[in-house]
Amino acid sequence: MKIVYTDVLVIGGGLAGLRTAVGVKQRGFDTIVLSLVPAKRSHSAAAQGGMQASLGNSAMGSGDNEDVHFEDTVKGSDWGADQRVARMFTHVAPKAIRELAGWGVPWNRVKQGEREAVINAERVVITESAAAHGLITARDFGGTKKWRTCYTSDGTGHAMLFALGDQTVANAIPVMERMEAVALIHEGGRCYGAVVRSLVSGELTAFLARATTVATGGYGRIYRVSTNAVICEGTGTAIALETGVAELGNMEAVQFHPTAIVPAGILTTEGCRGDGGILRDVDGHRFMPDYEPEKRELASRDVVSRRMTEHMRKGRGVKSPYGDHLWLDISVLGKEHVHKNLREVTDICRYFLGIDPANDWIPVRPTQHYSMGGIRTDHRGESTTLKGLFACGEAACWDMHGFNRLGGNSVAETVVAGMIVSEFIADYCADSASDINVSTGLVREFVERERAQLDALVAGRGSESATAIRQRMEEIMIDQVGIFRTGNELDRAVTELEDLLRRSRNLAVRYPNPGANPELVAAYRLPKMLKLALCAALGARQRTESRGAHFREDFPQRNDRDWLNRSITTWPAPEASLPKLDYEAIAVTDMELPPGFRGYGTRNHIDHPDSPARHAEIEKILQAVDADDRHARQRALMPFDHLLPEKYRPRNQRLETSA
Amino acid sequence: MKKSLLPARLDLAQSITGLVLAVFMAFHLIFDSSILLGAGAFAFVSGALECELFFGEKIPLITTAVVIVIFAIFIAHAGLAMRKFPQNAAQYRTMRSHMKEMRHGDTSLWWLQIWTGFAMFFLASVHLYIMMTQPQTIGPAGSAYRIVFEWKWPLYLVLTIAVVLHAAVGLYRLALKWGWFEGQNPNRRRKTLKKAVWIVTVVYLTMSLAALGAFIHIGLTGQDHFGNAVEGIAR
Amino acid sequence: MSNETASAARTLTLRILRHNPQDPASEPRWARYELEEYEGMTLFIALNEIRERFEPSLQFDFVCRAGICGSCGMVVNGRPGLACRTLTSTLPSEITLAPLPAFKLIGDLSVDTGQWMRGMSERLETWIHEQAETDLHALEERMEPELAEQIYELDRCIECGCCIAACGTARMREDFVGAVGLNKLARFRLDPHNARTDADLYELIGDDDGVFGCMTLLGCHDVCPKELPLQTQIAFLRRKMVTVS
Ligand SMILES: Cc1cc2nc3c(=O)[nH]c(=O)nc-3n(C[C@H](O)[C@H](O)[C@H](O)COP(=O)(O)OP(=O)(O)OC[C@H]3O[C@@H](n4cnc5c(N)ncnc54)[C@H](O)[C@@H]3O)c2cc1C
Ligand code: HEM
Ligand code: HEM
Ligand code: SF4
Ligand code: F3S
Ligand code: FES
Repeated sequence: MKIVYTDVLVIGGGLAGLRTAVGVKQRGFDTIVLSLVPAKRSHSAAAQGGMQASLGNSAMGSGDNEDVHFEDTVKGSDWGADQRVARMFTHVAPKAIRELAGWGVPWNRVKQGEREAVINAERVVITESAAAHGLITARDFGGTKKWRTCYTSDGTGHAMLFALGDQTVANAIPVMERMEAVALIHEGGRCYGAVVRSLVSGELTAFLARATTVATGGYGRIYRVSTNAVICEGTGTAIALETGVAELGNMEAVQFHPTAIVPAGILTTEGCRGDGGILRDVDGHRFMPDYEPEKRELASRDVVSRRMTEHMRKGRGVKSPYGDHLWLDISVLGKEHVHKNLREVTDICRYFLGIDPANDWIPVRPTQHYSMGGIRTDHRGESTTLKGLFACGEAACWDMHGFNRLGGNSVAETVVAGMIVSEFIADYCADSASDINVSTGLVREFVERERAQLDALVAGRGSESATAIRQRMEEIMIDQVGIFRTGNELDRAVTELEDLLRRSRNLAVRYPNPGANPELVAAYRLPKMLKLALCAALGARQRTESRGAHFREDFPQRNDRDWLNRSITTWPAPEASLPKLDYEAIAVTDMELPPGFRGYGTRNHIDHPDSPARHAEIEKILQAVDADDRHARQRALMPFDHLLPEKYRPRNQRLETSA
Repeated sequence: MKKSLLPARLDLAQSITGLVLAVFMAFHLIFDSSILLGAGAFAFVSGALECELFFGEKIPLITTAVVIVIFAIFIAHAGLAMRKFPQNAAQYRTMRSHMKEMRHGDTSLWWLQIWTGFAMFFLASVHLYIMMTQPQTIGPAGSAYRIVFEWKWPLYLVLTIAVVLHAAVGLYRLALKWGWFEGQNPNRRRKTLKKAVWIVTVVYLTMSLAALGAFIHIGLTGQDHFGNAVEGIAR
Repeated sequence: MSNETASAARTLTLRILRHNPQDPASEPRWARYELEEYEGMTLFIALNEIRERFEPSLQFDFVCRAGICGSCGMVVNGRPGLACRTLTSTLPSEITLAPLPAFKLIGDLSVDTGQWMRGMSERLETWIHEQAETDLHALEERMEPELAEQIYELDRCIECGCCIAACGTARMREDFVGAVGLNKLARFRLDPHNARTDADLYELIGDDDGVFGCMTLLGCHDVCPKELPLQTQIAFLRRKMVTVS
């Protein structure tokens, strides 16, 4: 039995994983990164549009600061977010941008003088100040009050991931590619590392660490069509679930992106609409203003996706062999803008659709895009129930996104969480309480269990087809646990998924090779994915309200009275076929921003009984504080500084000193 | 340890020697083709190059001296360029199969340069040796005699084709290698350069082969193609 | 989206070079598979279909399936390129697929570009060597907007390895850095945060395994799926490295 020891095992080589590894390494701890693919190929590379941070440099971002970013984030989350975490996040995001600039991310810059932009399908002239010239600029994204999304053309994730990948090499951090964590090793509520399978040789290795970090990204591939990379199968989240100890949060909160191309499901960035692109229906009519007169195409993603689906249900979609779709029109932006600033989009249209988006409309429809749910952690990134297990990035429910994350907040989360969580991990490792004193017997037990399961699959005594079951799961998820949900359909979904999970314990593998064997890989991942699907479906069935991305047609109101809480799922026993569902209350009484109207969608929600009291209290607190000192006001309402690692506490400098 | 500056120097030297040779050849082939204007023209040109105008008589030693210089540059260039040849059978095979699969224009052009260079290594050495040792024979009659009766025409035929291709392609690659003439749109410029390569090749080949024909004509008939008698090529 | 019946469906023949170096008994061989083509079919779709229907053991790599991540470089009808964004309709009905040469073969169409790139990165130290540590709390250093765009232009490399596979020099001489590394150095050279001088770069690429090894074959430039200006960048570095000396 091969055992590798390290201080910090980081499972996942995307933005979140790499930033965490760099952080702990710089604090002097040994770390190893595991990844299914070369780190720079992680899904983070696909993020196009940008990263939110309230620098406030550009004219349209002027006056921006942490407070505005915080408010947007919390409203975007439909009040599902942990407001303290959202505060920590918005405070550190500008630091993250600046750190990355120092590491070479070529953020687009402000150019002084006049320039043309398209806002609301009209050309307008924006004048940038000379003082801001050369500072990092930002573009508009859905659900934000200010232009706050920093970008490098439309390859932001790529530029960020490559800068971090380079830092990983600079810090001599080993990245073990084509290595898949298949189980976490744990005992007595403490995580000790993971059992890891080589995708090349099939060999199993035990990695033991003081701290284990899961940064494995989202689980979009449980859906039939997803903008996610094909490796986004959520196995990292699933192995945490399979411990039976770690909790997952808000698994039903799944985001759909309004504009993925049809049929390939490849994303065209929100930047298309941010830059002024518009949506049209079968008649070429721009329909979003009919539904959302104020925010139009730039309402938050869940809203736009629902409106599009609604519009298609009314028969206004364009028929195609691959189902209905609508049009995204960026030709209004002009050829030069499209070919220069939306280059990846141009490439995608050219290669996958054979069209030039500067002339032609792009066929789009809402498609699964982001997993708000994940491993539930405290503000330090540690699992609430399994000590020594940390999580960050899309795999985590740290919880700054609540039930809907804003565009550009996700890559920002990955690096910000990486910065913050790595400090807490380092603190944890510095404490002798993190010493590993685990018996090899336990390690052997975990390795042997995995080996036995793999051997059973290879022995080929099963009869079910992994492909068939997987396809069915994907269909159920997209049809019944999708954008619009109803109790009846969710009931059916849960029942059928349960059945699929049972059947998945009897899989057949045709090609009996224990080493590199894509079929075997698909087979052992399937039950893990089904478990995640069940968590999402069951969570959705139980949640009889609509919040953020979770929309119940039979319960269209947001119901703060009964549902201002986080869904928490655990897997009770290996042989169980359903997760256990609990709820974690979100207290209104200490919120900085008590629940209210999001500013888009319909204004109909059921108030929380504590809301009026908290509103009144806030009023009173604010009266006692200097109205001009926004920091003092914020501190009086909901202090969060003390939660941050010390090095990230200083205030962010801005061009406008008043901000 | 500081890295040696030698590789930079050698790379530069390879290009400079190539460039000098190419420029030399551009003139050489024009002078050589003066035969197309008649035996008198060639006699005049070859005389002029041996400073007849200066001293009133030909000084063959000047030719010998120039040949020595060119020979030296030639050997230097060949030596430098040979570092780029496939070093062993495995490399050779890899390159062959790579080219066959890729069917890529510029890679094939390089292969052409290797082979033409390889051929010139022998052919041009013979030519240079003769020019160095028998400069006094240069002239409409002597040259024609050499080409026809000393059986040099096959050598010149191959050498002409080789040198024109090698030099034209060499200049094209030189421009790309150092980023000359990139202009606003390097991709389009590259296409233009490539077109120029083919034009130069065709012009020079036509001209030089016609000149070779003219020499042969003189050798066989004793007169140039304008009918002027050329003395002194009796066998 | 035209109607599916509009064009007569072709039958595609895919010839795939198969070999599993993990298995001592395996020898490289060509395997043939036949598929019905349909509209919008890419090599990503075709290969997955082959795996699902005929050949569960077939190895290949796709991650983003959108031409963004660089995982799926392979030799398609003789030319290195990204399989995921290659529509079969742009190819003849007989398609040959082989793994990228010059990289370690993992199996069938899957090669180890990751470790190769890491090695290149370590060798050339392809990261910003900062002049001073960034103050995270202060305004960022200014940069001309055009310069930022220029850097991004070169930053777009996805490390797919196509330029290495297409380079005769890299094929013949294993130690040659290749276009990907040279482009990276050109990219970092532009960055004002960067503290390395040309003399420092000379230490890394001032020899025949470095920039002087490049024979201007331009296969790299012509296959790069991101259409990076490799030709001009290598020329630029060559000029700089010669003037350093
Ligand atoms: C098309 C697209 C565009 C997007 N655009 C934006 C945008 O413009 N702005 C924005 O803010 N967000 C955007 N997002 C979201 C954002 O890109 C992701 O949420 C974010 O990059 C996730 O980063 P991560 O580090 O958490 O995970 P990932 O980048 O997904 O990395 C996961 C890592 O985990 C590894 N891994 C997974 N499972 C295992 C296992 N079992 N064992 C070992 N390793 C494992 C993988 O190999 C990988 O290295 C976009 C998402 C998509 C799909
Ligand atoms: C200083 C050096 C050189 C001198 C003085 C010289 C001289 C001559 C002369 C006099 C001729 C006419 C034919 C003859 O008399 O045999 C000739 C022909 C030729 N030379 Fe040179 N030469 C020189 C260098 C070179 C080199 C370096 C090359 C090529 C590598 C070259 C290639 C040729 C060719 C190809 C022809 C035949 C042209 C045709 O087809 O008409 N020469 N040279
Ligand atoms: C023995 C004879 C010769 C040999 C073996 C030879 C070989 C080569 C080779 C292999 C190259 C390619 C180098 C590279 O890829 O970097 C080259 C380049 C070149 N050659 Fe020659 N050559 C010979 C003679 C000549 C002659 C006579 C000329 C001029 C007419 C010439 C002009 C050039 C030029 C201009 C280049 C491009 C320079 C460069 O790439 O740096 N060569 N030669
Ligand atoms: S330079 Fe181009 S071909 Fe080479 S690795 Fe980068 S993207 Fe691929
Ligand atoms: S193909 Fe190779 S030889 Fe140079 S120009 Fe490109 S690196
Ligand atoms: S799979 Fe990512 S580029 Fe092809």
